[in-house]
Amino acid sequence: MEQYNILGRTGEGAHGIVFKAKHIETGETVALKKVALRRLEDGIPNQALREIKALQEIKDNEHVVKLKDVFPHGTGFVLVFDFMLSDLSEVIRNSQRPLTPAQVKSYMMMLLKGVAFLHHNNVMHRDLKPANLLISSSGHLKIADFGLARLFSEQGERLYSHQVATRWYRAPELLYGARKYDEGVDLWAVGCIFGELLNSSPLFPGENDIEQLCCVLRVLGTPTQDSWPEIVELPDYNKITFKENPAIPLEEIVPDMPPQAVDLLYKFLVYPSKQRCSARQALLHPYFFTSPIPAHHSELPIPERGGRPPRQRFQAPPTDFSVDLPLQNSVVDPALIQGYASCL
Amino acid sequence: MFHNSSQKKYWIFKSEDEIEHMRCKANQKFRNKALESRKPGGSESMFLQRHEEDVLFRHYERRLLEFCNAFKPTMPKSVVGTAVMYFRRFYLSNSVMEYHPRIIMLTCTYLACKVDEFNVSSTQFVGNLVQETPAGQERILEQILEYELLLIQQLNFHLVVHNPYRPMEGLLIDLKTRYPTLESPESLRKTADDFLTQAAMTDAGLLFSPSQIALTAILNSASRAGLNMESYLNECLGLKEDKETLSRMYDSMRRMKTLLKKYEPPKLEEVNISKQRLERIHAEFASSSNKRKRGYEEDGHVAKEPRLVEEVRWGNIVLSLTVLF
Repeated sequence: MEQYNILGRTGEGAHGIVFKAKHIETGETVALKKVALRRLEDGIPNQALREIKALQEIKDNEHVVKLKDVFPHGTGFVLVFDFMLSDLSEVIRNSQRPLTPAQVKSYMMMLLKGVAFLHHNNVMHRDLKPANLLISSSGHLKIADFGLARLFSEQGERLYSHQVATRWYRAPELLYGARKYDEGVDLWAVGCIFGELLNSSPLFPGENDIEQLCCVLRVLGTPTQDSWPEIVELPDYNKITFKENPAIPLEEIVPDMPPQAVDLLYKFLVYPSKQRCSARQALLHPYFFTSPIPAHHSELPIPERGGRPPRQRFQAPPTDFSVDLPLQNSVVDPALIQGYASCL
Repeated sequence: MFHNSSQKKYWIFKSEDEIEHMRCKANQKFRNKALESRKPGGSESMFLQRHEEDVLFRHYERRLLEFCNAFKPTMPKSVVGTAVMYFRRFYLSNSVMEYHPRIIMLTCTYLACKVDEFNVSSTQFVGNLVQETPAGQERILEQILEYELLLIQQLNFHLVVHNPYRPMEGLLIDLKTRYPTLESPESLRKTADDFLTQAAMTDAGLLFSPSQIALTAILNSASRAGLNMESYLNECLGLKEDKETLSRMYDSMRRMKTLLKKYEPPKLEEVNISKQRLERIHAEFASSSNKRKRGYEEDGHVAKEPRLVEEVRWGNIVLSLTVLF
């Protein structure tokens, strides 16, 4: 702890207070998340353990926050992360004008890259939402808050909790009480976030769990055994029935959007989890290859903490951007898009 | 994945010697500390020798396994494996004279349950200490929670343990699908399982990767059944051309088997003697139990003082601190 200068308090997480601090030796600004253990009858909270577990076993990725250090302190311990200026929920909330299509595309691309990386490393995040997508001072999006994250295995004999994910982003199988699910729950959340970016307002803002299901059903239509065969096996399937109604075309839900955007949205917002488009595949969707191309991160808004209006930056590009980076870092391997090339 | 895990990076050691060296250092560290803190007269002879520490370690490790195997609801193997590994890692750099294995073994198991998402409540956990009264269970729980932070710290916050159980399932599937020469791979399971159980009580997990251990278990089981699986290594695992890897692998397997052969269950009389001495040491040098207590104080004026200390330690605080925790 002596290595850090506390600069201020930035918020309160589920398991402790978050401080902004400066690492004295390197001058780096970091976020310190304190996990206190006082009066917790079960000891070290699972959320903190999950966070350490998930982040410690994966390599660095541009779009996932980095756990820089963990150390004991006083009666608990401290997790050290890169300091991030803001998060996507603030960006959406504070934008004076709606995000441009190029900006939305850029956020989606960064989000999908992060999710693809996590899923490749067998990590399910289980709580993706705009507030957990942090924005760095250079405009980069990084996935954070791994308090619900789980390492998954394909064996799948163990049951998971369905009380995961923040309601608005909770996949329909979770709303029906599923105890066995897969990384598809993250892809559903990605779809919800995508819709929210396009509309600047949440797609399914349910006030409670039942209403949440209503919101989803109103748009996707009442599920049937044809549209969602697995539904009959879900624990809460018989506990509640809804009046039958047809699906509303997503074109009406996100009006005035280009067909590629709507098409990609369709790929995430489907009932059967297995049919949702994987993050890796989604990155190859024509949406990302049609004009306008994804905005460069220097063209993204960076609102300040505390809800002040966003400033577009006109300063020099941040230092982590360099035209000297090897070109192969930014191009897609042609072999990967071969199968999709015809639709471009 | 194992290849970029903290286990591979920090908890796989080069040789048995390296591991023994660490344990000797831990033993010495405690001796120095104890001698410094005490009035002259405390003599070297009262401390445990390395082999005596080993006897106690093996004894409590067996108790840990017994506790896990009798646990209700049934504890998944991976949780047990993780708990035993924590126990081993902890005593690499700490002597049993410093921290009593009786409580560390339970703390390891408790943490393993949480990390491996085997969700039992704390009351349910200590409820498995059937020989204890409810009051006794509560007291032990308090101790477990007290030591949890120390444990996670001594583990360097490296929580994920890769066990050989999944690699073994993988190998069995591989044998079934790609190695028709072998008639019933399932028949290898029993002996291979026993091998893994034995291996968990040795340093194998600190020296070899989980998949190496699993493969050795399978090959060992096969050779016991009089089956030759050389062609599996050569053809299916593609090691025919790679003589170097192959010979290194055979070498690891030999070392692992020697480790298992060397294992001796602790003898009761030895355990009892060492235990008595251990209790005496703990009574004399009970040093470290008060420093962690603080973490669990109730709110109120008792806690005021530490909080002040906290404020100072946080240094350069610009904000008005009311309650930090």
